[in-house]
Amino acid sequence: MISFTLNGETVSTDIDASTPLLWVIRDAFKLKGSKFGCGAGLCGACTMHVDGAAIKTCVTPIAAVAGKSITTIEGLGTPDDLHPLQAAWHEYAVPQCGYCQSGQIMAAAALLDANPNPSGADIDAAMSGNICRCGCYPRIKRAIQSVSENALAYDAMASAGETA
Amino acid sequence: MKSVNVSRRRFLQSSAVTGGGLVVGFSLSGCSSTALPLPVAAAEGAWTANAFVQILPDNTVRFYTARAEMGQGVTTGLATLLGEELDVNPLDMDVRLASAHEDYNNPLFGMQGTGGSSSTRAHFLPMRQAGANTRLLILQAAASDLGVELADLSTDNGHVVLAGQRYPYGDFIESASRLTIAADAALKPADQFQYIGRESRRVDAISKSTGTAEFGLDIDIPDLHYAVVVRAPVAGAKKLTADTAAARGMPGVTDIVDVASGVAVVAESFWQATQAASKVQVEWEETALSRVDTATLRADYAAALDAGDGVEGPDEGDVQAAFATASTVREADYWAPLLSHSPMEPMNAVVRIQGEEADVWTGIQFPFAVAGLVSRMADIPSENVRFHQTYLGGGFGRRGTITHLAEAADVAKQTGKPIQLVWTREDDIRQGPFRPASLMRIKAGVDESGQLVAWDTARAGGNISPNTFRTLLPALYPWLADFLVEGVANASEMFFENFSTDESSTEGLFEDYDQPNTRVTHMTVEHGLPLTFWRAVGHSYTAFAKESMIDEIAQAAGIDEVTFRLQNTQSSPRRQNVIRIAGERMAGMTVPEGHHLGMAMHHSFSTDVAEIAEVSVENGQIRVHKVTCVVDCGQAVNPDIVRSQMEGGIIYGLTAALYGDLNLEAGAVKESNFHDYRMLRMNESPEIEVVIVDSGTEPTGVGEPGLPPIAPAVANAVFKATGQRLRSLPLKLT
Repeated sequence: MISFTLNGETVSTDIDASTPLLWVIRDAFKLKGSKFGCGAGLCGACTMHVDGAAIKTCVTPIAAVAGKSITTIEGLGTPDDLHPLQAAWHEYAVPQCGYCQSGQIMAAAALLDANPNPSGADIDAAMSGNICRCGCYPRIKRAIQSVSENALAYDAMASAGETA
Repeated sequence: MKSVNVSRRRFLQSSAVTGGGLVVGFSLSGCSSTALPLPVAAAEGAWTANAFVQILPDNTVRFYTARAEMGQGVTTGLATLLGEELDVNPLDMDVRLASAHEDYNNPLFGMQGTGGSSSTRAHFLPMRQAGANTRLLILQAAASDLGVELADLSTDNGHVVLAGQRYPYGDFIESASRLTIAADAALKPADQFQYIGRESRRVDAISKSTGTAEFGLDIDIPDLHYAVVVRAPVAGAKKLTADTAAARGMPGVTDIVDVASGVAVVAESFWQATQAASKVQVEWEETALSRVDTATLRADYAAALDAGDGVEGPDEGDVQAAFATASTVREADYWAPLLSHSPMEPMNAVVRIQGEEADVWTGIQFPFAVAGLVSRMADIPSENVRFHQTYLGGGFGRRGTITHLAEAADVAKQTGKPIQLVWTREDDIRQGPFRPASLMRIKAGVDESGQLVAWDTARAGGNISPNTFRTLLPALYPWLADFLVEGVANASEMFFENFSTDESSTEGLFEDYDQPNTRVTHMTVEHGLPLTFWRAVGHSYTAFAKESMIDEIAQAAGIDEVTFRLQNTQSSPRRQNVIRIAGERMAGMTVPEGHHLGMAMHHSFSTDVAEIAEVSVENGQIRVHKVTCVVDCGQAVNPDIVRSQMEGGIIYGLTAALYGDLNLEAGAVKESNFHDYRMLRMNESPEIEVVIVDSGTEPTGVGEPGLPPIAPAVANAVFKATGQRLRSLPLKLT
C-alpha cells in the first residue's frame, strides 16, 4: 500500500509499485487531465508537481512518490476558479488542440513558483521539456510573461489556487 | 478559386419537438434527412432549432459543432458564424461536439469530414443562414407571445428587446417550437458584423487549460479494457508465428487475439497491456519492402525521373521551344523525406459492442467512416452504430485514417469486452501512414526581361489519394468482400500510376507563377508504404522545391527576389499583394550582423501566404530567429485564430524543415520516439509576426497555408548566409 497526498488529500493505492504515477492518477483516481504523450519522459504531456517540482510522471513509478505531495492540473485550478496561468491561457488564446496544455501549465506553474520573474531564457529553459505539436510556444511564452509581470497578484492567487 | 455556392433554398427546414425540444434539420445535400433521427440529444424543455442549435428554458444556447476540433479553432469559428446571425456571443454558448449525421456533412465534401482547410469557407454562408433563420423564428414567436409586430422587436445577445425591455430567447421556445422556420432569413451586411472579424478568445480555451476537455484517450466506461497491438516492423508484413505464452501470464492480461496488423494484447489497464505486449514474440514474413532503405527510395525515384517516363499532368505551350529563348536556365532536384504526423495524443478508439448495437468514442476527422467500418468489423447494421465525437489531440491528417478504429472494433468483437485500443508513440512514429517522400525535379527558364518563360517539372514518389482511399474503402462499402475491397484499391492505385496524376502528388509544384510554358510529369513509385495526407498535403513538399527554384533562378538572372516574384505573378493581384507587403517588411528590417532574410510565397487552399525568415548559421547550425508571415485568407472570421494557425503552421513546418526525417532500414522505420524523431521546442521556436491582409472577400483556408512557405524561406536565407543551396529536407549544412 502506497500513500501520498493528491491535490491536498491523503490517498493510498495498492496498485503495482512499478506502475507509473501518470496511470495511477488517470486509472485509479480518474483524473484525466494529465496526458499520455510518449511514455518515455520526452514530451511533458504528463507533467505534474511532486513536492512542488514539475515531474514527468509517465516514467515515475508510483513507489517513488510514497509520502510525497502530488498536484495535478485539476488541483491547480478549475473552470470556476482559474489559476492565474489558466486565466492567462484563456486571455492569450494559447491552446489549439489542447492535449499538451495541462503539462505546459504545470511546468509553467512550477517555474513561476520557483522564479516569479523569469527571463525569456529562463522560460525557454523551463519549458523546453514540453512539446506542443500545434506550435503554441509563442503564446505560451507570452502568457507566462503576462503572469510573471504581475508577480504579486500571481503569488496571492496561486496560493489560493493551490489550496482550493 | 472555387467558390462556395450553396443556395439558401437547399436548406431543409423542418421543425420538430423532441423530448420537449424542437429540431430544425439542415441539409446541404438537398436530400431529406428524415431517414435518420436528428442527432442532438434531447434535453427537458429544450428547443432544438436545428442540428446545430438547441435553446434551453434557462436560455442556455447549445451549439453542436459539425467539424472536428483538432486545434484549428473551428468550434470557435463556426460558433462565431452562427452567433453573428443568431445574435448570441459565441463565448456564451455551451459548445458540444456533433455526432455523425448527414446534416453535419461538409458542404465542400458531401460527407462528414474535416480537412483541406475547408471548414470556414464551406460554412461561411450555411452556418450564418442557420443562425439567421433561428433568430427570425424566435422573433416571430416573441411577436406572437408579446402581441406586438415583428418590427417592434430587436435582439441583443440571446435576448429579444422590446422598448428597452429584455426577454431571454428561452422565454419563447415553447411558441417557437410550433412555428415553421424560414428558409431564407436575411443575412447581415458585413458592416454590421459584431463578432465576425473582431478580436475574440476561443470557446475551448478554459476547458483545455483546466484538464476538463475530453479527448478520446480520456473516455472511461464501465468494464473498459485496453488493447495494444504488437505490430510488424515492416508495414504490411504478415505474422508467421507468434509466441504469446509469456504475455498471457502477465498481470491484468485478459485476452490475446489475432488482428490483421498483428497480435492484440488486452489487459485491465493500458500500462499492463504495454508491459505484456513487450513479452510477445512474433516472427514476421519478409516482403518486398523488407529490402528497402531510405537510400533505395531516393535512388528509385531518381531513376524514374531520369527515365522520364511518367503520367503527363498539365501541359501548356512548348517548354522545349521556350528554353531555347531563355537567357537563364536552371535545373535542380529537391528531396523531401517520409514524415510522421505525431499528434500529441496517440491514436486511440473506444468501441463497445452490445448485441447488435455498438458505441464508438474517438476523435476523428472523418466521422462518416465510423458506422460503416464498425458495421463491417462487428457484423452489425451500420444504423446501429452510435458515434461519440471527442476533441482531437492534434489531427494534421493523421486523424483522417481509421486503422486504429478497425482494430478496436475487431478486438471488441472478438473479446466481447468494451475496448480502448491505443497506439503507443512508437507505433505512431514507425507505422504510418506517412507523409510520402518525394524527389522533385524542376527546370526553369527566364528571358532577358526577367520573365519566367518555361517551367518543366516532375515528381517521383508514392500517391496519397489511392493510399488513403485504400484505408477508407472498408468503411465506404461495409458489405463488400475483402478481396473485392483489395481489388478496388489496387485498381485505384493502378489508375494513378498509369492514367492520371494524383492532384495531391503535384499540387503546388507549378501553379503560382505566370510562365506561359509548363510541363508537369508524375512518376509513381510505390514501395508498399502506407501514405496519407499530412498538413498541407502535396504543398508540404512542392513549395520547398518551387520556391527554392524561384529564389535560385531570380538570383541567377540578377533580379532581387521580391521584384522577380512580383514580375511573374501579374495575373494574380492578390498574390502580388502579399509579396509586396512582405517585400516592404523585408526592406524595413534591420537585422544583427550574421542574420539573413529569406523569402518564400505559396498559394494553397485558396489562400496566399508570403513569409520572411530571419536566419543565422552558427557552427553549422541553422537558427531561425523570427518569421514574418503575410496572409490573405479573405475575410478573417476570427483574426486571432488566423494568427494562431499561421504560427502553428510555421512551427509544424519548421520542425519538418529542420529535423523531420523518418528513415527506413530493411523496410522498418528506424526512429521511434521524440528522442530520435525530433520536435521543435520552445527554446528553438522563432518569434512570429503575422500580418493579415484586410479583405472582405469570402474566407479561404487557414489551417494549412501557413506551413508550405517556411522551409523554402529558411533555405533561401541559408543560401544568403552560406552560399549553399540546400535542396534536401531536413535542411542540413555540409
